[in-house]
Amino acid sequence: MIRYLSRRLAHGVLLLAGVSMLLFVFQKAAPGDFFLGMRLNPELSGQTLQGLRAEYGLDQPLPQRYARWLGSALRGDLGPSFAYNLPVTTLLWPRIKNTLLLSVPALLISWLIAIPLGLLAAWRRTGWIDRIFSGSTSTLLALPDVLLALLAVLLALRTHIFPVGGMTAGTDAGESTAGLLQHMVLPVFVLVVGSVGPLLRQVRASAIEVMDSSYFRAAQGNGLGRTTLLFRHALPAAANPLISLFGLSAGFLLSASILVEVIMSWPGMGPLMLEAIFGRDLFVVIGAVMISTLLLVLGNLLADVLLYFCDPRIRVQS
Amino acid sequence: MKQRKLFWTAAFLVGAHLMAGLAGFFAPYHYAAQDRLHPYASPSLPHLMDCSGKIHLRPFVYGIRNKQGSFTDYQPDCSAQMPVHFLVTGEEYSLFGLIPSSLHLFGVSGPGEINLLGTDAFGRDQFSRVVYGAQVSLLAGGLAGVLAVFAGVIVGTISGFYGGVVDEAAMRVAEIAIAVPSLYLLLAARSFLPLEISPLMAFLLVISVIGLLSWARPARLVRGLVMSARERNFVLAAQGFGASKSYVMRRHLVPMTFSVALTQLAILIPQFILAEVVLSFLGLGIGEPFPSWGNMLAEAQQYHVLASCWWMLLPGLAPVPFFVAYHALADALQKKTKVNL
Amino acid sequence: MRSIRPITPSFLLACLLLPASLARPEGRQQDLLKVSVPVGHPGGVLVVSQSSEPKTLNPVVAVDQPSRDVIRRMTADLVHINRATQKTEPALARSWKSNREGSQFTVELRRGLRFSDGAPFTADDVVFSFQVYLDEKVHSPQRDLLLAGGKPMRVEKLGPYTVKFSFVAPYAPAERVFDSLAILPRHLLEQGYKAGKINQVWNLTTSAEKIAGLGPFRLKQVLPGEKLVLERNPYYWKTDSQGQILPYLNELIFLTVPSRDAQVVRFRAGETQIITQVSAENYSALLADQQTGRYKLYDAGPGLEYNFLVFNLNDDVKGRLPAIAQKQTWFRDQRFREAVSLAIDRAAIVRMVYQGRGVALATPVSPGDKLWFDSDIPIPEYSPEKARKLLQAAGFSWNSSGALTDSSGQPVDFSILVNSGNVQRSQMATLIQEDLKKIGINVHVAGLEFRSATDRVLNSHDYEVALMGLGRGDADPTPDMSVLSSDGDIHLWNMGEKTPATPWEAEIDRLMRKQQVTPNYAERKKLFDRVQAILAEQQPMIFLASPNILTAARDGLENVRPAIMDNYILWNADELFWHTPAGKH
Repeated sequence: MIRYLSRRLAHGVLLLAGVSMLLFVFQKAAPGDFFLGMRLNPELSGQTLQGLRAEYGLDQPLPQRYARWLGSALRGDLGPSFAYNLPVTTLLWPRIKNTLLLSVPALLISWLIAIPLGLLAAWRRTGWIDRIFSGSTSTLLALPDVLLALLAVLLALRTHIFPVGGMTAGTDAGESTAGLLQHMVLPVFVLVVGSVGPLLRQVRASAIEVMDSSYFRAAQGNGLGRTTLLFRHALPAAANPLISLFGLSAGFLLSASILVEVIMSWPGMGPLMLEAIFGRDLFVVIGAVMISTLLLVLGNLLADVLLYFCDPRIRVQS
Repeated sequence: MKQRKLFWTAAFLVGAHLMAGLAGFFAPYHYAAQDRLHPYASPSLPHLMDCSGKIHLRPFVYGIRNKQGSFTDYQPDCSAQMPVHFLVTGEEYSLFGLIPSSLHLFGVSGPGEINLLGTDAFGRDQFSRVVYGAQVSLLAGGLAGVLAVFAGVIVGTISGFYGGVVDEAAMRVAEIAIAVPSLYLLLAARSFLPLEISPLMAFLLVISVIGLLSWARPARLVRGLVMSARERNFVLAAQGFGASKSYVMRRHLVPMTFSVALTQLAILIPQFILAEVVLSFLGLGIGEPFPSWGNMLAEAQQYHVLASCWWMLLPGLAPVPFFVAYHALADALQKKTKVNL
Repeated sequence: MRSIRPITPSFLLACLLLPASLARPEGRQQDLLKVSVPVGHPGGVLVVSQSSEPKTLNPVVAVDQPSRDVIRRMTADLVHINRATQKTEPALARSWKSNREGSQFTVELRRGLRFSDGAPFTADDVVFSFQVYLDEKVHSPQRDLLLAGGKPMRVEKLGPYTVKFSFVAPYAPAERVFDSLAILPRHLLEQGYKAGKINQVWNLTTSAEKIAGLGPFRLKQVLPGEKLVLERNPYYWKTDSQGQILPYLNELIFLTVPSRDAQVVRFRAGETQIITQVSAENYSALLADQQTGRYKLYDAGPGLEYNFLVFNLNDDVKGRLPAIAQKQTWFRDQRFREAVSLAIDRAAIVRMVYQGRGVALATPVSPGDKLWFDSDIPIPEYSPEKARKLLQAAGFSWNSSGALTDSSGQPVDFSILVNSGNVQRSQMATLIQEDLKKIGINVHVAGLEFRSATDRVLNSHDYEVALMGLGRGDADPTPDMSVLSSDGDIHLWNMGEKTPATPWEAEIDRLMRKQQVTPNYAERKKLFDRVQAILAEQQPMIFLASPNILTAARDGLENVRPAIMDNYILWNADELFWHTPAGKH
């Protein structure tokens, strides 16, 4: 187990290195840099901008820039943001916190909805329940996040029940929990609606596989109750792919809500990332992707550990 | 029973794609035809009863005129009744870019237009644009899906067949491909393209890049399949008879992955249809004047559209029937695969 | 050093009841500036949204609009451009004298002023500020305007409240370049400057007591990504006609709301109380509910942004980009450019893109620029017929399918590069595409994201025609030199020309150089009018339209006087007040 985990950890480090290098190459390929945006300001001379470029080392060759960045990454600040004149980590932490405030509840609620409903749908696999189920999950999947977020904003605007955006009210100093919860309702709702569709399908598919197996038929034949059957027998047996999926979703905690955050002006990673990508604020983008990748690695590790404890077959193998 | 479901979903999808292909016939107007006097007109539904309460047998729509002092507020013009006709001749178009025609499924006679889903900022007919937009959105989904699965099958087969270092390397690269956001590459890809190619071509190239980038997931599935298959007797036998590796892969392994590939295709195509919406929302989608569901929906993020032009949100619902059909197809294929294995 | 504490009701009360001179014991020796605006009540909070987060609070490095909007509320300049009259007026400088040729300025500072942390303001702060701005190693974006004839200005302290500025050559816009150059507190920044870290100070993590300025407000709190709270600066140096110290408002809160449309939504929901800029379409939508929504909309008239088509006339594409070089033979023909201009329906652009709230342009100078607009230059008419005649005269003809072809039979088509992120410009491109189809020119609209498009225009020159917009933030011809002069940094149509490629470009160069050293306004205006006339005739850029500056404010906010220079509505934030003192709406 330890050997296995350390191997996975080594893969993770390799992955981080690969991703960072790839991003450096990509940004080189994308035309224009951060300071190009200022060129169209008639009050600024090209000479001044050249000076700024040199200050951030943007005039150096790629390998040197990568080495410089790697140095600062090892020191833990992930390079400077050109726009903010701040270390990327200082910039990212508060926003990561805000994003997780949306995406973690959304993830948990989605799973809490998907598991019982998915099991039920697998149980009643034929007939009209199934048809409604697959029709509605497809519809959920087909509705773009953008449309859902816009509809949520429209709803808030028309009914005044929920705030139309932001994390706190304009004049609020930002300490009230009730205010925060009120602002969270709509974006979390949109995220849940947007993400529950694929989870439902996955739970149903995994559960069907279990229910077709002979041991489940045997348990069924023993006349166990439906709830016991579904939650004590079907769910643990179907857990394997679900746990892997759960681990994988950790990698999307920071990116899944980008568009929703932008539309509903949630002060998380979304607005920052979008501005940084279009503004070529290189190290902010790289920093955010690195942290996202790190979460992916950790999520997968967590899934492996969970599987180790949940699934006896794996324990035997290793 | 299952065969029948498979048949009907496939038939629906073929029909829907055909309809998109024949957009010129189903759309009453050309997607770029502007009516600069009537931007943001609301949907004009066919009536049977006129302003004075008289019933007509042939459905008709009213013309519209501007309300006093506004460019975008209209009221029906009771003096301009325009009966709806079917199979009318209208603007010239070409079917599949080949056969010139001017026959449209429906249209109105009179000075005005019939706008079943209203008009946009340029007074272009939204219904026609949704129908034409299906071409772009479905093509984008299909193209990216096919490329992703194609690349996935190739990498997955090689990786699964050779195993060892090749496999290890391929799977590590696959992890990177899943972790890196493709937005950066998209910016790069779009801006490398020469400007004189049409926005349609440029967009298709960009969407192809997305497709090729998404090889990792299908590759992992195919790899698993090939790994178990290469130990099966007939593959070992073929190798025993001295068949070359590439022959074994081409003739025995790749065909085995067909059903997985098809299922993946039915799952991925809808995902790419949605990816197009996100791209358009970020301003990286297909350029004007071409319509796509994504760039039509992106219009609706403007406050004035959101607040007063609800019909501009309707293109966001266009993918729904396709998703239902594609998913039903994927389910049916999955069941069929299981039976065969 | 003052301590940070929340403004308690009792503090508010103190402000209300005490005369200003009592609230501030040393007020008697102060050189305060009395402004004549309707007298208001103190108190209240104003919430405003910004389309992106301010990046820094450091006046030395700030370039983005949100940062500048915040910093300009926190700092003050020596000489200020009045946003309403567009003319200069005294600010921290009580008065100034210039020598005859306009190369030296002696400035008398107001006495007894204090920074927002209570430290006194003297000539040392002014000298220090300019030392920082002019330091080449700092790379301050403010530096470039302080150069005349390529040399930086010299700054000398003549007394505790007297400073002399000298340029090597006469510099006509000198008074105007002082606008928005924030005077920095030497006592807070000198250490950082000496350590070579002036670019890193005053960022979003700096605590409020380490930041001070001479503006109407000072920093209270930053919530990253979300909002920035400014509070009233009790040491501000302006009073109303009754001697009440400005500003009236207790707090000014900037919310980050990442899209212009979301800003309108927040305003409609009552969460913000002003919108600094509304698009024309949103303005129309808001207009419909003006009565019930309890807000007012303001149309300040045409702004200083100008939108235009620019033809790629760069010489360096020859050989490198043969397809574009070939098309340049059309673009270089003045008759072709004029024909394109004649074929564009500018009225339709104003109507469709700006809902009628904009103006068609003949030159880069919109009628909103009170000092430099030349009303004698007519707006190009819309006449596809005249365009056709002109093209025919230039040797173009039409083939059987109606497409325009040049004398060698090559069909005339080109692409228009546009920033796809800008809705208005994309719409203009779509309209122009339709317009040019009518004279047989097939146009592709190529939408690229902002930096990709800019990179093509400025660096690789790999484009045919571009649709762009520029702002003339200063309402003065001198910054226009970087666009119009052939050696300018963003001389868009032909970048990096060594010598002017055409006689008319040489003439523009001469006129622009001359206006820069001519102190007399009337003479300068004549010179710049001539430049505009040449541009309207030669059309290296086809000027299209300027949008009106549209803003909105909630009912009850008084002294709202939107202007077309930035910040359109907050420029007189020190004078704004709530009709009802509580300011609750």
